[in-house]
Amino acid sequence: MRKLAFFIPFALFLGLSVFLFSGLFSDPMERESSVLNKALPAFALPDLQRPDTIWTEQKLQGKPYLLNVWGTWCVTCNAELAYLTELREQGVMIIGLYYQQPSDAAFGEVFNLAELQQEVALKLQQQGDPYQWNILDKDRTLIFDLGVTGAPETFLIDAKGIIRYHHVGDINPQVWQQKLAAAYQSLEE
Amino acid sequence: MIAEYGQLALTFAFCVSLALAVVPLYGSFKGNQTALDLGNPLAYALFFLTAFSFWALSYAFWSNDFSVVYVASNSNSLLPWYYRLTAVWGGHEGSMLMWLLVLAGWTAAVALFSRSLPLQFQGRILGVMGLIAVGFYAFVLFMSNPFMLSLPYYPVDGRDLNPLLQDFGMIIHPPMLYMGYVGFAVSFAFAIAALMGGKFDSTWARWARPWTLAAWMFLTLGIMLGSWWAYAELGWGGWWFWDPVENASFMPWLVGTALIHSLAVTEKRGTFKSWTVLLAIGAFSLSLLGAFLVRSGVLVSVHSFAADPDRGLYLLAFLLVVIGGSLLLYAIRMNSVRSQARYELFSREVLLWGNNIFLLTATLVVLLGTLFPLVHKELGLGSISIGEPFFNQLFYYLVIPFSLLLGLGPWVRWKQQQVQPLLKPMSLVAIATLILALGTMAATQSIQANLALLGLLLGAWVGSSAIFELLQRLQQFGSVKQGLTKLNASHFGMTLAHIGFAVLVVGVAMTKTYSVETQVRMKAGDQVELAGYQFKLVEVYDLKGPNYNGEAAELDVSYQGDYVTHLHAEKRFYKVQRSVMTEAAVHARLSRDLYVALGESLSEDSWALSLYVKPFVRWIWLGGLLMSLGGLIALCDKRYRRRVVEQKDATEQKGAADA
Repeated sequence: MRKLAFFIPFALFLGLSVFLFSGLFSDPMERESSVLNKALPAFALPDLQRPDTIWTEQKLQGKPYLLNVWGTWCVTCNAELAYLTELREQGVMIIGLYYQQPSDAAFGEVFNLAELQQEVALKLQQQGDPYQWNILDKDRTLIFDLGVTGAPETFLIDAKGIIRYHHVGDINPQVWQQKLAAAYQSLEE
Repeated sequence: MIAEYGQLALTFAFCVSLALAVVPLYGSFKGNQTALDLGNPLAYALFFLTAFSFWALSYAFWSNDFSVVYVASNSNSLLPWYYRLTAVWGGHEGSMLMWLLVLAGWTAAVALFSRSLPLQFQGRILGVMGLIAVGFYAFVLFMSNPFMLSLPYYPVDGRDLNPLLQDFGMIIHPPMLYMGYVGFAVSFAFAIAALMGGKFDSTWARWARPWTLAAWMFLTLGIMLGSWWAYAELGWGGWWFWDPVENASFMPWLVGTALIHSLAVTEKRGTFKSWTVLLAIGAFSLSLLGAFLVRSGVLVSVHSFAADPDRGLYLLAFLLVVIGGSLLLYAIRMNSVRSQARYELFSREVLLWGNNIFLLTATLVVLLGTLFPLVHKELGLGSISIGEPFFNQLFYYLVIPFSLLLGLGPWVRWKQQQVQPLLKPMSLVAIATLILALGTMAATQSIQANLALLGLLLGAWVGSSAIFELLQRLQQFGSVKQGLTKLNASHFGMTLAHIGFAVLVVGVAMTKTYSVETQVRMKAGDQVELAGYQFKLVEVYDLKGPNYNGEAAELDVSYQGDYVTHLHAEKRFYKVQRSVMTEAAVHARLSRDLYVALGESLSEDSWALSLYVKPFVRWIWLGGLLMSLGGLIALCDKRYRRRVVEQKDATEQKGAADA
């Protein structure tokens, strides 16, 4: 027994190195989205430009679409607008989920819908407008339920309202070709 | 041209490392005197070639030679000359070259200072150092070559050094850290050489002690500087983040600390033999593991170099050979070792055993916290992250018994200690502890039963015990004055390091409990009060530096109407790397830091500012400094030089008898 005890450090080290080895081949930043293959969470949020219209998860069913989380304050989101607009022209349905940052009263910030509407309209006019419409998530409730860590993020949702893909980061031609195009086409059929 | 010479020198150095790995070891096993005699010259050659190579890379940075890929990606012609030189170790390839330089430096130092060791033993140490060197030189030469050229299409200017690294703390933090990491290679080599010989008297422990102390001292200093750098440069007032790479440097430190204590037991009492060898292997293994974690990209960290799976694979294979090989050798050789020494339950041996247990538990906590997310994910259980609360909680529970033990340890004799004689001095220490802790608290804050009080009590216990013990020891020489000249340096070093630990504990507890901070919007002329201090924003103006633009804020601080200081905080925008850096303004006093970071401009004339008042935060680094100073003093102990010479004859005769 005593003899075997001296082999314990060696055995522990071998065990550890197995994990170190497999760790080499996986990306530490990558994490499985918790909403994948689940239905879009229930919500009732207003349209950004026409606040009288209330969107719910049921109203969005019937056709596969991309739900793109963005904001005018987010530089990367602005950069992807042009390519998303191209996708829209190819017939991809894209719905915007507007990520409103919290207003800090201490810094004298007050939420002003009219100002926001103007700002968004101007931005989309300048950079291209990929969106069928924009849903305003003023208090970030749906964004929280979707497990969004930052903008931009994009969800691929099928006709039944099930989330099929969750992409963190911007969408560019390469990302679209490698990760989303095939999945989107298979949902279209 | 110079860069090519550097490349050439590095290639020669690799060849020399091959020779160093083979020749002295061959000599030591075959009893070939010529081969053994070659060890020292080879070690010196390795050092000089590597130093030349390092100089060549530095020259490429100095002269803005952007045909060297590494220079182009880590420097810029606008960078001030001192940052151009420190940019040499600002990226993966150059920092590996520095690693080689440090390794070659330690090897040459072993050759220089171990001439009094039996030649056979010295040959084995140099051989082991050579084996480690072969692995690292091959890695640099074939997988991360800093001398790679981009000719004929070289860039006109470079991509600049990461602005985070453009700071004084960063100039000396990595060299110190590497001195520590690689220094444990020497302890490791001593342990492996002892394993090869299969003879375990306490002599190897005596020889290994000064080397281990030196490595530990550098590592302590390196970690402390890193913490200080993060505090000054990251602009959020923290000093330790439990980042995986910080943990990677903390683990060898913990094991190294255990090793220093365990070596003392092995040397003085001839026991804990297999344990000490395992710790020596462990300290260096954890250094290697740290290098792997930083450079392979398996963990998410602010320190990570660009990840490359091939490099990771190579390093892992190297880890398997070095760590796996040495642990296997350990398992095979240690079977036959028996400790003869006897000791009672209440003795210094047992207390030092307790020290080792707590330090290793702490290591295990850090190791688990660092690697568990990786293991969890690779088992397919999903991503998790382990953060500050986990570490803080567990260290809280570990520090309490550890400190209590530490206050008692130095008083207890080897072999056996009677309880009776200790009662009087220990109750004196206890009284002093209460007075010190409550006094400090009453002087700086109001007396409350909280974490700060606990920290003060533990710190005062360890500190006053260390001082009383020193006084008592000095008096044994007749008078304190006589004792000062007669007591050996090791003892002073130990006392100072223990006081350093006490200071550190007090600093952590006070900072954690009493730090206050606030984020405010300010215009010029505005005044904000925090913890009794009035911060007045005088003005904010534009700033133009050599490779950055920015804004600077001037603040006046007063306390209850009395002017305290003027603070100057900057926010810099580095043009080439397009990144924003905060240069926090810090007014440091032993009792508190005032810390201001300039944030975003919120409108034409108002800015966001972060203000902090952090009591006793200096004590954290002061503690680290005292600890490494303690290491330095212990290192100066005469007996490390004298006894080795005395021993020489005895062991040589013994060696001759064996042969």
